[in-house]
Amino acid sequence: MRRGLRIARVLLSTQYALMLEYRAEIALWSLSGVVPLLMLGLWSQSEAGQALGLGATGLSRYFLAAFVVRQFTVVWVIHAFEEDALQGRLSPLLLQPLQPLWRYVAAHLAEQLTRLPFLAAIVAVVMLVHPQAAWWPSPGALLLTALFTWLGFAVNFLLQTSITMLCFWSERASALDRLLFFPYLALSGLLAPLEAFPPGVRSLALATPFAYQVAIPARLLAGEPVAIGPALAVLGAWLALLLPLCLILWRAGVRRYGAMGA
Amino acid sequence: MAMISVEGLSKTYRVANKQPGLVGTLRHALRRQTTDVAAVADVSFRIEPGEMVGFLGGNGAGKTTTLKMLSGLIHPSAGRVEVAGHTPQRRQAPFLRQITLVMGQKQQLLWDLPPRDSLRLNAAVYGIDDREAERRIGELAAMLELGDELNRPVRKLSLGERMKAELLAALLHRPAVLFLDEPTLGLDVNAQARVRQFLAEYNQRFGATVLLTSHYMADITALCPRVLLIHQGRLFYDGSLAALSARLAPCREVRLELTTILPASSLERFGTIEALEGRTVRLLIRRDQLTARVGELLAALPVADLEVRDPPIDELIGTLLQQGVIG
Amino acid sequence: MGRYFRTLRRFWGMALASEVEYRFNLLIELVAVVANLASSLFVLSLFFGDGHRLGGWSWPAALVVLGVHQLLDGLTITLLQPNLTRIVSHVQEGTLDFVLLKPIDSQFWLSCRTISPWGLPPMLAGLAVIGWAAQRAGAPADPTTLVIAGLMLLCSAVILYSLWFLIAASSIWFVKIWNATEVLRTLLTAGRYPISAYPPGLRLLLTVVLPIAFLTSVPAEAILGRATASWLVASGALALMCLLISRWFWRFALRSYTSASS
Repeated sequence: MRRGLRIARVLLSTQYALMLEYRAEIALWSLSGVVPLLMLGLWSQSEAGQALGLGATGLSRYFLAAFVVRQFTVVWVIHAFEEDALQGRLSPLLLQPLQPLWRYVAAHLAEQLTRLPFLAAIVAVVMLVHPQAAWWPSPGALLLTALFTWLGFAVNFLLQTSITMLCFWSERASALDRLLFFPYLALSGLLAPLEAFPPGVRSLALATPFAYQVAIPARLLAGEPVAIGPALAVLGAWLALLLPLCLILWRAGVRRYGAMGA
Repeated sequence: MAMISVEGLSKTYRVANKQPGLVGTLRHALRRQTTDVAAVADVSFRIEPGEMVGFLGGNGAGKTTTLKMLSGLIHPSAGRVEVAGHTPQRRQAPFLRQITLVMGQKQQLLWDLPPRDSLRLNAAVYGIDDREAERRIGELAAMLELGDELNRPVRKLSLGERMKAELLAALLHRPAVLFLDEPTLGLDVNAQARVRQFLAEYNQRFGATVLLTSHYMADITALCPRVLLIHQGRLFYDGSLAALSARLAPCREVRLELTTILPASSLERFGTIEALEGRTVRLLIRRDQLTARVGELLAALPVADLEVRDPPIDELIGTLLQQGVIG
Repeated sequence: MGRYFRTLRRFWGMALASEVEYRFNLLIELVAVVANLASSLFVLSLFFGDGHRLGGWSWPAALVVLGVHQLLDGLTITLLQPNLTRIVSHVQEGTLDFVLLKPIDSQFWLSCRTISPWGLPPMLAGLAVIGWAAQRAGAPADPTTLVIAGLMLLCSAVILYSLWFLIAASSIWFVKIWNATEVLRTLLTAGRYPISAYPPGLRLLLTVVLPIAFLTSVPAEAILGRATASWLVASGALALMCLLISRWFWRFALRSYTSASS
């Protein structure tokens, strides 16, 4: 246990040092996440937006929260892993007594930490331009947001890692990840608040992992009501499905890697 | 009890063969034809703890594949392999703590950070306490002549410094078995010598078992009293290097470009003819007779160009096979 | 001139020949186009429930804007992405020197070197959407409108190219921010919606700073027969200006690159 904590600490600090070397790119990735702010502009001006009944403040808070939350649930393990496998960096990792997937988790967490100053800057600018939207969430809301953001991240990470493992069998597997991007755009709440969805679509979204990557944590952060129980149940179900799947695929994938000539 | 024990080890790959051109593409799309290529075929040997063994063989002979099977990265198609009492392919933590694999030109150090950061991480992963890790780093760095390089980002180090740092990182956890795949590839002469010296010292000091592949004869002669000769996936020789060298007789390859075409008979007295193609001749001449013979050559033959170098391993093996020394 | 055409044919012939092998890729691309269109249509439709309008535009009219965006996106995949994202790798690997030594204009070479047939399905889908939606919106189908629309689309393509080129070429100095084109790509998704749907501040930004208005909304107006002479002239002038800026910028970048030889 102590060894595990020590590895976690050193791994995170090493990855953080590494991410700092890439802060220019990371700043740009943070910037490329501003789409919710553009959508805020659209929704607040539109007739459909007025009809939602959230009010200008409600919309502002939601989309600003969506912007923040999204920075912490985005997952890029498929690109990093494929790059490592291509460059021959995977083999040495397999020979160390540490499950290589933990390195990617640490890389993601370190990258999120590196993004923090940039996204704080963007949030500050938005609040300066729209001071009426500014708010500070209650401690309870913050805690719940943190919990659901990490759960959303975990589900996303496991999903993408499972797809990444499929790449050992076919390089076309990465197309699956690309294709999942489209339902994610439609259903995650990045481009429209859940209230705007027709009821059937809303239920669908809440059954998929997508809504939990933006919509649910964003609502919690913005202080809107969320049915915690059902949300936890759905997330729990997805985790129960994806965690074993991911581990099985990992083991099979490594065996395949070995069979093909590492 | 042997440290490494290998029996009937084989690795076969299924490779699709596709003919070039449009017809080939269509045929390939409709009905794939595959052939089985044996990268390693029925290799058996045992290595005792503390031995330094060299794997000699040309490109594509199967050395790297064997090494990867011994470390557990590649799964054998047939045969048994046991290293330090474990089955490598299960990659269990106690096994992984006892081995290390260093591949020349491939690296495990983080590129943008100084080696010290990667070393810190390795210390945590292998469960070496920080103070002990510092001590070991100091010790290995002294042996490798590395100083401030450990604090500079890896991308800023020269190839030689990088290789030394890689070795340090690979040996931090004092593995009992070292697998080294072409560790001196691409290094300059000085760096190669340094690495060889280090490996000899390491083996002496810590009694580690070392398995080294190289296609530089010099690496093997400097370090390994015992060699395993691999050619086209098969083990052709397993014994002392001295015995092999004696039979091979240390030779150098002399490449001549003549101004006129000469028959083989007029060239045979200078050395063993490896190849004769028009005006280009390649001769193997024994090292101790080299200077004298080259002098005779230049005096007697119409030489336009002359080049002296170590014969490539493939040629040596070819000659060995011809002489019936092996195989 | 003929030399350039012949070279172009050679370049693109090679690129196409190597891609034709991948039938499965084609299937994936088709599914991707459908998924992309479906998710964009879904999100757009959320603004139009209950007879609402978006920025004064009707549903079919807004679809024309979406169609133009899709068309330009297809152009990006076909031509801009495969070529311009290579500039940064040329700089990193030092192969830019080889390009500069060729007896062909380097901007042409870098911009047209290869072509990706995978952008053609999105382009066709875009045209299909434009065609269907324009007809639903009651757009006049007379030759004048078509010609003007075509010209406006050409101007958009030129402006888009110039934007991409400016960002990609700046990698001569900023190799680290290779993902700047990704930021551009995400910001350009703002072009999915009519410019008048945005609040005044954003509208200004998206017309003057990043001319997204000229990319999608202005050609859409032309297609719907609502083009006015002033917009036509502005569009043409902007396109010309952008092209000249890209040319000048490239010359400037090259001067700086060649004088800083290593």
